[in-house]
Amino acid sequence: MKGLATDLARLVSGVRVRADTEDLFSYSSDATRYFVSHMPDAVVLPDTTEQVSKVVRYAFDHDIPLTPRGAGSGLSAGCTPIRGGIVLDMKRMRRIVDINRGNMTATVEAGVVLSAFHRAVEKQRLFYPPDPQSMDVCTIGGNVATQAGGPHGVKYGTTKNYVLGLEVVLPDGEVINTGGVCVKQSTGYDLTHLLTGSEGTLGVITRANLRLLPLPPSHRTVVVICKTVDQAAEMVSEIIAAGTVPARLEYLPQGAIALMNQFISPPLTMDGQACLLMDIDGSKTQIEEDSSEIRALSNSMGAMDVRVIEDEKEAETYWKARRNLHSSILAVFRRAIVEDVTVPRNRIPEFVRAVQDISASLGTFIGMGGHAGDGNVHPNIILDEITEETEKKAQVAVERIIRAGLELGGTISGEHGIGLHKARFLAWELGEAQIELLKRVKAAFDPKGIMNPGKIWEHGG
Amino acid sequence: MLDLRTYKAAMDKCCDCGFCQATCPVFLEDLLETHVARARMALIRACLLEGTHPVTERLREVVGRCLLCTSCVQTCPARLPVDEIVVAARHQLQQQNSRGRLRRRMTRKFMKERGFRGLVGKAGRLARSMGLGPEELPPPARKRFEELRRGVISPKGEIRARVAYYVGCATNTFYPETALDVVRVLAHNGIEVLLPEGLVCCGMPALGEGDLETAQELVRTNIRVLSRQDVDAIVTDCTSCGLVLKTKTVKVLPEDDELREQATLLSPKIHEITDYLSQIGLTEEPSSVPGKLTYHMPCHRSWTPTMDDAPRNILRSIPKTEFVEMEYPERCCGGGGTFFMDYKELSEGIRSHKIEDIDHTGARTVVTQCPSCRSYMSPMLKEREVMHPVSFLARAYGFRPDA
Repeated sequence: MKGLATDLARLVSGVRVRADTEDLFSYSSDATRYFVSHMPDAVVLPDTTEQVSKVVRYAFDHDIPLTPRGAGSGLSAGCTPIRGGIVLDMKRMRRIVDINRGNMTATVEAGVVLSAFHRAVEKQRLFYPPDPQSMDVCTIGGNVATQAGGPHGVKYGTTKNYVLGLEVVLPDGEVINTGGVCVKQSTGYDLTHLLTGSEGTLGVITRANLRLLPLPPSHRTVVVICKTVDQAAEMVSEIIAAGTVPARLEYLPQGAIALMNQFISPPLTMDGQACLLMDIDGSKTQIEEDSSEIRALSNSMGAMDVRVIEDEKEAETYWKARRNLHSSILAVFRRAIVEDVTVPRNRIPEFVRAVQDISASLGTFIGMGGHAGDGNVHPNIILDEITEETEKKAQVAVERIIRAGLELGGTISGEHGIGLHKARFLAWELGEAQIELLKRVKAAFDPKGIMNPGKIWEHGG
Repeated sequence: MLDLRTYKAAMDKCCDCGFCQATCPVFLEDLLETHVARARMALIRACLLEGTHPVTERLREVVGRCLLCTSCVQTCPARLPVDEIVVAARHQLQQQNSRGRLRRRMTRKFMKERGFRGLVGKAGRLARSMGLGPEELPPPARKRFEELRRGVISPKGEIRARVAYYVGCATNTFYPETALDVVRVLAHNGIEVLLPEGLVCCGMPALGEGDLETAQELVRTNIRVLSRQDVDAIVTDCTSCGLVLKTKTVKVLPEDDELREQATLLSPKIHEITDYLSQIGLTEEPSSVPGKLTYHMPCHRSWTPTMDDAPRNILRSIPKTEFVEMEYPERCCGGGGTFFMDYKELSEGIRSHKIEDIDHTGARTVVTQCPSCRSYMSPMLKEREVMHPVSFLARAYGFRPDA
């Protein structure tokens, strides 16, 4: 686009605009480059909401597509600029504006890195639960836009449960503040939660007001070794039903542990087919009680072993290994399509069996592992060879997995968002009427269709 | 490391997770994704391996703007050898320093002669005394360590072990007192120290330039000399030298090189000095040294699993040590060997966070093994002293610095 970089430089400043091919290349995909990438025409790195507003206004006036971007660690091509245009890299806007212990809230700019935010609130004995695996790089803005989850979802819910208000730049450049900092607010349409999960298609999130909790005084990591995959799956729903909800409840088959053992120190040796990795939090007394109950329950269901990881450093290696799992899988196998189908927790055993059947009938290896505690067990379709046949089979597997999940009352995406990858399935879950309504909402916000076009629904934008 | 093509399989393993953004000092300062491992490797692949994009000045800039600190390698879930890929890319690009031929010649001379000798040394001292040159480059010492000690230094009593001491060039030239402390502390604890003749620079500066030909020459010389030593271990004071000697020598040599086997045999013998002392244990009890101190972890760490904690173990063995951990001990200081000379603003930006962290500890003394970190941080640590942990231990033994 001729003159685009020059115009943008006038709006922000020369150093905050990049248009060299090499820079455009670097911003042409998220963590799914293998799947799709597309160069933008310019990258802008704003420092303030005012700058964002100016750039958005410019894009609006000139009908230029605009794609906001956090860390670019997303798994659904949400920030891949498939129609080109401007990428707005929000990472320079990374101030933690306020942490208010009296109100138990915080206000942060969109580019704040999640684990930096965790550290800051924990220093004040406060707690922001959402913990997606990419926390060391992902940003709050990205979390809000994709409705990010993580293992803490089982007990604490996900990002949507913690967003109280947003500062957003609308597609015409107007800046609005939705919601506020009150934990209770009832003022008509809840734009805050409409924008949460809107994947950059309704506006640019520049700030978020977030709800905090008191920091649990202690926590403990426990590993339950299960004989079979089925046993582990059954145990998940029993643990939830018993009411002793751990803070994290991850289901990990043998294969996942084998990969994770690169990082677990000392490595976990287990004979069972799968294990449950959990984190129990609360006061010391509560932890003791919960641990005993879980131990009793696991043993009554025939678990092979229940191990408490006493050493904090050792326990941390388990969770670090868990964060690295997705990348570890892709370091070994040529391709792995990670699905985000989520089902109600009590239907996990059926879902696990359904996925096993799909895997067997297609002859495609499908691993499963993840946030079983909230029904989000991430089937991983693993291709060791990439041929036309294997890719076709993988697509069939994806479709069958989604159908199976929906039949069990689930959803096609628990935490990664729709982006581009799942757009063609959205109608299966929402139905045409709902999708038409979404399109009308989109048109109301973004009549020119400049905000992250081509995402969420088929032929979207 | 010679051929970028040998890294294609490794680059295939990058799944674009972007986790390298968590620790890359350059990225955390620039906040531009082009400057982090994920994009850098993708660009190297596209431009230098696949040829789908042309080689431009911007590409050279991207390939050059890397400290080779290996933070990304340590953070990457697939442990991709990003530093080696960057070195191979620099080699392929035949990066000529923008710094010019004179500096290139000086660097080669420095590496072959283990520092600045004779007239060059004098000139360096004179220049620094006149305030010329960057503050972060200390004046060359009047006498290099090689001129102060030679041969074998034996302990007074029983010999527990024999080691060869590989003194880093920077230590040799700028901080010979550190090397003296290494030798004294070893001898004091019953370890005989051999100072082999004919050693040259480990080659780290050459690798940094992608000058693999010079690096090979240096590695070959060092492998030959070190293989001849009849010792239990080879210790070094400089963590970058150790990184090269332990993990890079094999990769620098061509596949069919006869010295590859020797290099492989030498690797397990390479130890950083505090790691070695921590493993073999001190026989002599040190006395307490007053004053708060903190430990800056050099980026070229973790090439042995035990070395991260080794300095802390040594410091804890000194009674009543007021050791304070800074908030991010592993965060880069920005020096990067000679990197800071070409990326002044960037390095200073990176450094500022480290200095702030140190200021918050209230420590009077900062210990670190890396002479480059030491010289780069020192100008910003007025009224504090920066030294190698072994020197702190030497002080605890009551050794006075040589005149």
